[in-house]
Amino acid sequence: MSDIFVLAEHRQDELREVTLEMLTMAGGLGSPVTAVLFGSGVNDFADKCASFADKVIYVDDPTYENFNSAAYQAALVELIKAEKPGLVLIGNTGQGADLAPSLAVELDLPYSSDIIAVTIENDKPVATRQYYGGKIDGRIEFKDADTYVLAIREAATPAGEGGKSGEIVKTDNPVTTEITVKRFLEYVEAAIGEVDITQSTALVAVGRGIREDKNMPIMEELAQAMGADLAASRAVVDAGWLPQDRQVGISGKTVKPKLYLAVGISGAFQHVTGIKGADLVVAINKDPDAPIFQYADYGIVDDLFKVVPALTDKLKGMKG
Amino acid sequence: MNVVVCVKQVPDTSDPDTEVHIDSSGRDVERSKFSFVINDADNYAVEEAILLKEKHGGEVTVVNIGPETANQVIRMALAKGGDKAIRLEDEKFEFSDAVCTARLLASAIKDIEYDIVMTGCIATDDGYTATGVALGQVLGLPHAAYVKSVEVVEEGKLKVGRELEGGIMEMLEIQTPCVLTIQTGINEPRYASFKGIRAASKKEIKLMDLAATGLSEDEAGEAGSKSVMVQYSVPEVGELAEMLEGDAAETSGKLAGILKEKGLV
Amino acid sequence: MSIEQGTFVQKYDLLGCIQCGRCTGGCPVTVRTELNVRKFVNDTIEDDRLEELSEKPEIWDCTTCNTCALRCPKGLDPFEVLLGLRSMRAEEGNIQPTARDALESMFNNGNPWGKPAARRVDWMEGIEGVEKVRILEPGEKADVLIHICCTAAYDPRIMPLAKNLVRVMEAAGVDYGFIGVEEKHCGSEARRLGEEGLFEYFDEENTELFGRFDVNRLVCLSPHCMNTFKNEYQNLNLPVMHYTELVAELIEDKKLELKNEIAAPVVFHDPCYLGKKNNIFDEPRYILSQMPGVEPLEFLRSRERSLCCEGGGGKMWVESESKEQRLAETRIMDAKDLGAKIVAVSCPFCLLTLEDALKVKGLEEEMRVADILELLGEAM
Repeated sequence: MSDIFVLAEHRQDELREVTLEMLTMAGGLGSPVTAVLFGSGVNDFADKCASFADKVIYVDDPTYENFNSAAYQAALVELIKAEKPGLVLIGNTGQGADLAPSLAVELDLPYSSDIIAVTIENDKPVATRQYYGGKIDGRIEFKDADTYVLAIREAATPAGEGGKSGEIVKTDNPVTTEITVKRFLEYVEAAIGEVDITQSTALVAVGRGIREDKNMPIMEELAQAMGADLAASRAVVDAGWLPQDRQVGISGKTVKPKLYLAVGISGAFQHVTGIKGADLVVAINKDPDAPIFQYADYGIVDDLFKVVPALTDKLKGMKG
Repeated sequence: MNVVVCVKQVPDTSDPDTEVHIDSSGRDVERSKFSFVINDADNYAVEEAILLKEKHGGEVTVVNIGPETANQVIRMALAKGGDKAIRLEDEKFEFSDAVCTARLLASAIKDIEYDIVMTGCIATDDGYTATGVALGQVLGLPHAAYVKSVEVVEEGKLKVGRELEGGIMEMLEIQTPCVLTIQTGINEPRYASFKGIRAASKKEIKLMDLAATGLSEDEAGEAGSKSVMVQYSVPEVGELAEMLEGDAAETSGKLAGILKEKGLV
Repeated sequence: MSIEQGTFVQKYDLLGCIQCGRCTGGCPVTVRTELNVRKFVNDTIEDDRLEELSEKPEIWDCTTCNTCALRCPKGLDPFEVLLGLRSMRAEEGNIQPTARDALESMFNNGNPWGKPAARRVDWMEGIEGVEKVRILEPGEKADVLIHICCTAAYDPRIMPLAKNLVRVMEAAGVDYGFIGVEEKHCGSEARRLGEEGLFEYFDEENTELFGRFDVNRLVCLSPHCMNTFKNEYQNLNLPVMHYTELVAELIEDKKLELKNEIAAPVVFHDPCYLGKKNNIFDEPRYILSQMPGVEPLEFLRSRERSLCCEGGGGKMWVESESKEQRLAETRIMDAKDLGAKIVAVSCPFCLLTLEDALKVKGLEEEMRVADILELLGEAM
């Protein structure tokens, strides 16, 4: 198969991890890997990509200071037409999912999204993706084409170590017309102090096992170390240790974080109904028979006052 | 402000107790034990469409591809304030991929007068996060995905917020007509009362089969799709939690490692 | 919405009200919320105020415990006015998301818990000493048709009640049967959340469903289901009982033997829908008195004056804004002061709310809350 294109993704002065994950994934498929980077003055991103790719096509132009799917699409159409890659990988992210499907339609290429694994069989990609919230896997095959477009799920494969030294090819912006249908305005950060737990990607949920209000700081520290928001069972909200808007369950909020860490929560049905949208549930409870373990992916049976501070230390250690 | 909103009926698999079994064909799941509901994100899209209509006037048209039982989710949307409805059904639509589905939807939408087309940003059954964005391209319109706020700036122009990872909102201006894929949480969907749904069943739902779409057999279903799901399989996961053993130092270390490996911290 | 003149006046006989205030005076939730039911009965006479009144949050504080109706000297049902206001909200679709989700689940799954209909019979697994629960075929004859209730069918905490009900039936040799996976919500909570239309749907559906079997009586696990079938269904020609009535009968007829000691001071909490609403006060007390070792206690507020646990009236899905102590907590503290070791109930909602309160008060080590069915399971 001819070259694999990987679209580099960056935002607010950071090269997003999904870029390196896709470059790593592409590196295992047996074809030369080209990172495609659109940006403005992001030489360091080009260098980083080069350590994971055989080649970096770097379009350095003010148009690409911030993401605009219409601008990206116009440029990618030209590059794909000119370079004829065999496979194009784009993150199935807030940016990539705003771009990849329409790109595939414009070029009339086979496309599938939210892919967790890719192999090459008979010189064509075969992809694995999940259905029904991860309860079923599906094998995706494609009809013959010169180029295939796949949107890859974040964290589908861990990023490797890099170690390549790909050639960086600075390329003129292939698009000369101005994009008018869509215009980037600004990024808006979530207001501090107004946490909407239904939108949190990670939650540390506190239950009755915390025993007293004065024990809350250890949970706050853990949440901070995890980059998570605090949520609570009804008992904790009732006791006034956390506000009502943090309550998870039938009479509270239904949440859908990527990670739900339930600490000292027994897992009453009225509570766990509220976490049905969580991707990964981890429970810490001293009662081995606590029903929460029926809903959890991982469990620790122990005193939370021992595990929580230890976990906080470990997580802080990893960051430092 | 005329809005077209696309809704999908999906099995309600939101409850962790819901079992999903692959059927004998290996390409579908056993459906007999499911209850069927409107796709979660589409429910928010319906509400957003109706809120825009209530604020700016106009009409809301509900479009669905699905069997007759999908009339229930269409009627629910009509009960909430939708005005017209179209349902596309043909056995030749089976196994359409996201791009092909977008073509089918476009065939029904192209003759409607509209300012905005809305879809949910993701479906809970096949989770493509692709149909709405593909639909924009098929219709030749600009689009925005994961939309978490919509504001009419002036005639022909919207300001929308797209939700990115980490809760960051990307604000942008977009010209109408356009396609927006709506993220859950953009609003609080209203309840469709039983009486309201009954009353809505008097409204006409226009039916379209393959012939009515104007597309050929090669442009619909598996024949019209460049990607094909050929085989379902059961991922390997344990029923109960995997218990991490050891003292607090060991278990916390193991857990930190798992969270790190999964990219969750 | 358009409201015909005098809608509420006619529907709830509002002109019969003499504004004596006995309703509000006895209302248990007034101690923790803004609710003043007398005022609503007064104000809803004016049709043009209905819209505004229906938007007041306190209409959702009512637990429909029936105290106001019992106290009304004119025989009115004051709380029904609040349900009328709720139904205006439900019809407009403007209700709390938690209530919305429960109602949508009733419509889609036949239960308010968001659970798949197909799993309604999961509770039948692993019943001590019972090989197979008898599922009735259409047309089949049985003396008793048991109705399990959504909460007992799906909530793992309440499932043991359903299992024990079957154990009791088997032990006492009752000719019983169960509908199986087709059993569905009774509509009680739909009506109390303001969804009249959905309630009527369940009325029709369940009446048709029960009519398929040749049974003499319907025995309900929950007082809420029982009340609805018995008092609110339009055309159900089937005697309806609560399980405590049947069990009392079985013990009296010496068909059920209770031999194991329960040895504890036990106080019975009257479920509102069993007691205040249906006058069943003696049967549960009789059953408890027949359990070896039980030392019966009585709450100061018992029988008609029993304090509501706040689990009824759709309150499982609508949280009060009040920060005042929950009535269930008050009830648990009263039980503690009495020296009770077991708070006995005979209702799934009471069991859940009181047990929650027990945990909030940190009294898990000292006391427990148990349904009579659980105690029967231990005593049998």
